[in-house]
Amino acid sequence: MNAITCSGLVKEYRTQKVVRALDNVSFDVAKGEVFGLLGPNGAGKTTLVRILATLLRPTQGHATVAGYDVDKEEDKVRRVIGYAGQDSERSAYFRLSVRENLRYFASALRDVPMKTALERMEYIAKEIGFSDRLEKHFIALSGGEKQLVIVIRAIMHNPEVCFLDEPSKSLDPLTARRVRSFLKAYAKEHGITVCLTTHNMKEVEEFCDRIAFINHGQLRFIGTPAEFKHRVTVKEIVEIGVPRLEAALEARLLVIPGVSNLTHEASLRLYCDDAFKVLGETLEVLKGAGVKAQVGIVEPTLEDAFAVFVNGQEVMQHA
Amino acid sequence: MPNAVKLFYMAVWRNLLTMTRYKANFVFEILTSLLFGLGMLLFALAFDASMLARTVGSTNYVAFIILGIAFQSWTGIALWGAAGMFQGELSSGQIDYTFTCPFSRYWYIVSNIAASAVQGTLFAVPMLCVGLWFASSTLTAMGIILGLTAATLSVVALAQLGTIFASLVLKYRQVTAIFSFFSFAFQMLTGMFVPVQLLPAGLQAVGWALPLTFGMDLLRFYVMKTTPIMSIEYEWLALLAQLIGFGIAAKLAVAYIQRAAKEQGLHYI
Repeated sequence: MNAITCSGLVKEYRTQKVVRALDNVSFDVAKGEVFGLLGPNGAGKTTLVRILATLLRPTQGHATVAGYDVDKEEDKVRRVIGYAGQDSERSAYFRLSVRENLRYFASALRDVPMKTALERMEYIAKEIGFSDRLEKHFIALSGGEKQLVIVIRAIMHNPEVCFLDEPSKSLDPLTARRVRSFLKAYAKEHGITVCLTTHNMKEVEEFCDRIAFINHGQLRFIGTPAEFKHRVTVKEIVEIGVPRLEAALEARLLVIPGVSNLTHEASLRLYCDDAFKVLGETLEVLKGAGVKAQVGIVEPTLEDAFAVFVNGQEVMQHA
Repeated sequence: MPNAVKLFYMAVWRNLLTMTRYKANFVFEILTSLLFGLGMLLFALAFDASMLARTVGSTNYVAFIILGIAFQSWTGIALWGAAGMFQGELSSGQIDYTFTCPFSRYWYIVSNIAASAVQGTLFAVPMLCVGLWFASSTLTAMGIILGLTAATLSVVALAQLGTIFASLVLKYRQVTAIFSFFSFAFQMLTGMFVPVQLLPAGLQAVGWALPLTFGMDLLRFYVMKTTPIMSIEYEWLALLAQLIGFGIAAKLAVAYIQRAAKEQGLHYI
């Protein structure tokens, strides 16, 4: 049995106008899998997680979590899920300590026996190096520490399926890595299926068994992180060490034969089939425009794949 | 450097904008100010001891008012406890987590109100004891038991009303003026400080619709031997009917708000 199934999910918000946040999304997640939802801001990831966590009703289509229909059997779904939303800053009782907060949430809202709740809390806190924070008041924690409390809260009742909306937000790289590694081991040990949204490509590579890429509410890719990366690794990249060039110059670079796409963040990146061919012509264009910059051929990364998908260069394909 | 006059003008503009943005709240701000005027007028009348004797059959205004104030701490919690909790959860984002947990929303609200009422009782006990001490000439053990039973029943009925108000918070978000309006209405129309018998007939009818009125009237009847608003049997029946009626309305309100929340999301309803 799959842990999560989505079939033709559509979600429309009706305010002054109808906004379609999800458009015919279908996929399955196997039991015990760590599944990542990727996509730019406003792509529909959080809406999808909220539907699966019974916070929203789909406009069309249906979804199941642990075999239960998220709309018709919401109480059963709620018994088997864990949830960590994005708003971790104020999402617990300020004047209670971390220990008191977690004890309350696990016992009162999740019906975990008090003794079990305390044991699990101690264990998880020790594993992620958080034991010395348990006595601190929630309000006295840093943003990253608050995020950790919210993640612990989501798993300490050992749910069958856990939804984490940007779990490593606000975490420093070392803590993020430690938490990922713990979560992966903990999920495997307890048979927990994890469904997370993220923008962190490192998280995707280290944590996720499979990912789905969503843009404008549509599923654009589903497969493993390696397959995702492979979708652009068939291409090569020429990198120019400047964040932007004049629009006319960028347009000239885009029409160099073999260049299929251009992205710009910290540097300009030209996606092409033969980087050596494009490199020569790129240098000519830059030289003609009097631009001096470091130019080279680089290996594509997951972030390149992300950029290509965001820019709409790929169409939906089940790998 | 910004001009102080402009800062003042812009601050007034900002406040007006905020005040008028939430229409229901704005309307209740106006209504509350009108009600305060009327309330003060009635309050002045109640200090006339002979009028108190004519209406409730007792001149013990000290016990009358202290029991009313002691009652107020419970009613505040019963009515606004859950609404305040939801407002906090809504602004902190905690409500998302709460709503993914496996329990009845209705019972979540009611149990939180009950928890707050326990807390409120601790603070109301000294005041209640003082009120009972001032009524010692008419006090009996059975009177205390029956009076407190009536008070408890009316607080439970009020908690149902509080559940409806908690749903209002989810729907309208900015409801402070609505709270103020009802707080004052409850104080003035239910006999907390001014005998209900003093009110004009129309306002008396509104008072009878609120569970607080009969709870407090029964408490005073059993403790102070005051003249009840209507026959004791009718008051008990009215309290029970209000408990059932408001209970059903509260369940419907929670079911409605849950449906609305699932359509548009908790933060957008």
